[in-house]
Amino acid sequence: MTAGTLPAPGAALRYAPPIETELERLVTALGAIPALAERYPLRWLAIQLLEGDDDLLAEAEGLGGPTVTAALAACRERLAPHYGEDLDVALVDQRYRFVHALAGQALTRPATPPLTLSDRIDRVVTHRWLGIPIFLALMWVVFKLTTDVTAPFVDWIDATLSGPVSAWATTLLGVAGLGGAWFESLLVDGVIAGVGGVLVFVPVLLALYFALALLEDSGYMARAAFVMDRLMHALGLHGKSFLPMIVGFGCSVPAIYATRTLDSRRDRILTGLLVPFMSCSARLPVYVLIAAIFFPSHAGLVIFGLYLTGIVVAIVIGMLLRRTLFRNQPPAPFVLELPPYRLPTLRGVWRQMWERTAAFLRKATTIILATSVVVWLLLALPVRGEGRFADTPVDQSAFAAVSGATAPVFAPLGFGGWETSGALLTGFVAKEVVVSTLGQTYAVADLEEEVATAPATFSEDLLGIAGGLVSATGDALRALPGVIGITLETPEAETAPEGLAAAVRAGFEASSGGHGSLAALAFLVFVLLYTPCMTTVAAARHEFGSRWMWVSIVGQFAVAWLAALLVFQGGRLLGG
Amino acid sequence: MLHQVLQALETASGPVSLDELSRQLGIDPGVLEDMIAFWVRKGRLQAGNGGVCGGSCGGCGPQAQECAFRPAGPRVITLRERMQ
Repeated sequence: MTAGTLPAPGAALRYAPPIETELERLVTALGAIPALAERYPLRWLAIQLLEGDDDLLAEAEGLGGPTVTAALAACRERLAPHYGEDLDVALVDQRYRFVHALAGQALTRPATPPLTLSDRIDRVVTHRWLGIPIFLALMWVVFKLTTDVTAPFVDWIDATLSGPVSAWATTLLGVAGLGGAWFESLLVDGVIAGVGGVLVFVPVLLALYFALALLEDSGYMARAAFVMDRLMHALGLHGKSFLPMIVGFGCSVPAIYATRTLDSRRDRILTGLLVPFMSCSARLPVYVLIAAIFFPSHAGLVIFGLYLTGIVVAIVIGMLLRRTLFRNQPPAPFVLELPPYRLPTLRGVWRQMWERTAAFLRKATTIILATSVVVWLLLALPVRGEGRFADTPVDQSAFAAVSGATAPVFAPLGFGGWETSGALLTGFVAKEVVVSTLGQTYAVADLEEEVATAPATFSEDLLGIAGGLVSATGDALRALPGVIGITLETPEAETAPEGLAAAVRAGFEASSGGHGSLAALAFLVFVLLYTPCMTTVAAARHEFGSRWMWVSIVGQFAVAWLAALLVFQGGRLLGG
Repeated sequence: MLHQVLQALETASGPVSLDELSRQLGIDPGVLEDMIAFWVRKGRLQAGNGGVCGGSCGGCGPQAQECAFRPAGPRVITLRERMQ
C-alpha cells in the first residue's frame, strides 16, 4: 500500500476557539503571499509561527516581508490575554490532549498493562521495604567475593614477590657487583616491599571491579541509587546525593566531579563533603591487610561493616550539616530513568575491570613508587644512634623521627606507634600507600631478624610459583560457595601469624597496651573516615574552593579521630 | 497534560522512576518522554546523567585517568525552578 491510497484520517485536530480564530486569520494573511502559499501548507506554517519557530519565521519573512511579522504580532497580541507567555505550551498541550483522547477511543488496552521482566524484578528490588535489605545483601556478597575468594591469590602474589622475586633481584644485583650496597636495600626494601606490598592486592581489586561492573552493566546500580535516594530524601537530604556517592565506592575524585549533577551550589558542597566518607577502592587493600591479620575468620564481615559505617556516617553528618550550616529549602524531588535490566557481556565486564585495574597499576608505578622511594630514603637516613645510610635500625631513622612526632595524636586511639602514624601520614598521598608504608616499615624490621635459609635454584622457584598458582586457584574455587554461605571444608585452626603479619600484630599490641584487635579495628575506622587523598583534596578545591577544601580536610580528620576514639576507648570500657 | 508532569514533580514526596510517573499520570511512557523533552527544551526541567562527565574522560577535570571509575549513571530529570 502506498501513502497515496491511504484514507484521510477521520478525526481533525481543532484547537481551542481563540486559537482557531487566530489561526484562520493568520492563514488568510499568509495565503495572500503567493511565495509562501506555494511553498508551505499554510495551516502548518501558521501553527509553527505561533509556536515560536524562529528559523521558520526568518524564512517566511524573507519570502513575505514585514506583512508576515505584522500579521503574526497581531495574532499573538490578541491571544496574549488568554495564554500570556505560554501560547506555545497551550498549542503543544492541546495536541497531546487530542492524541491522548484519540488513542483512548481507538485503542483497546488491557485494564492492567502487562509487566515486563524488568518491571517484575523492580517490584522486588526497588520495593519500599525490601530495597535496602537487598542492596545490603548484594554488598555483603561483593565483600565476601573480594576477601575470601581472592585471599589465596593475594597470598600467592605476596609469597612470590617477597620470596623468589626479591631473591632474583638480590642475585642479579650481586652479579652486577651491587650486592649488599644501598641500592639493594632500595630495590628490595623500598621498591619491592613498597610497590609490591600494594600489587599483591590486584586480585582483590579485580574482584571488586568485576562485581561493580556486573552491578553497573546489569542495570542494578541505578536501582541501588534509587533505593538509597528514597532513604536519603526521607531523612531530609538531597536524594540525588547518592548518585555521586555510588561513584565514590570506586574513587572519590570522579565522585567529587559527579556532584555537578546537583542543582544548587549548597547541595554540591554538602555532597562533596560527604562523598569521601564512602569507602573508595584505594582503601580496600588496607582493610584486607589488617582484617586478614586480626580478624582472619571474619574479614568479610569486618570489611562489609566498614563500608556500611561509611554510608551511615555520611548520612548522619549530612543530616547534621543540613540542620546547621546548610539549612535551606527542602530537597527537590526528581525523576530517575531506570534502564531495563540487561545481561552483562563478558567483553563489557572485562573492559571495565581492565580499565580500572590499569588505572590502579598506573598509580602503583607512579605515585606509590615515588612515595615508597621517599619513605625508603627517610628510613635509610639515620638521625639517632651510630648507624650509617641504608644501614641503620629503622627506629633510629628520619622516618621514625618524623612519624614519632605525630604518634601522640594517635596514642589515645590505640595505634600510636611510629610505624602506623607514618603510614597514615603517607596515606595522604594515596590511600594504598598506607599498605606500602606498613609493608616497608615492618618488613625492614622483620628482615633484620630474618634467619638465612638455603637459596633455591631458578627452576625450583619457577616450579614453586606455578605450584602456588595451581594451589591458590583450587583454594579460591573451594571458597567460592562460601560467598552464598555454603562452606565446603572445615575451617582450619587459626595459625600464629608470621613475617609481616606477626610484626604488624606485635606493633598494634605494643601501642595499645595489649588490645591489639581493638586498636586494629579503630585503625580501620580511622582509615575509612580520615582526610581523603591529595588528589581528592585537589578536586574538592577545584570544585568548591579553598575554604571548603580545608573544612573537608580538618572536618574529616576530626570525625575519624572521634570515631576511632569511640571504638578503641569504648571497646576497652566494654572489656574488649 | 503538560502541566500535569510539572505538578507531579512538584508534589512528589521523593524520587520517582519514569515508569512510576507514567503509571501515576496514565500517560504512555513514550509520550511522557516527549513531554519531558519539551519541558527540557523550554528550560523548566533539567535532564542530566548521574555519571561524571558527558562521554569522554577529557572533560572530567585535572585527573582524567580516574574516569575509569565513571559509571553509566541513570538519566535524572529535575525541576529547574528550584535551582540557585
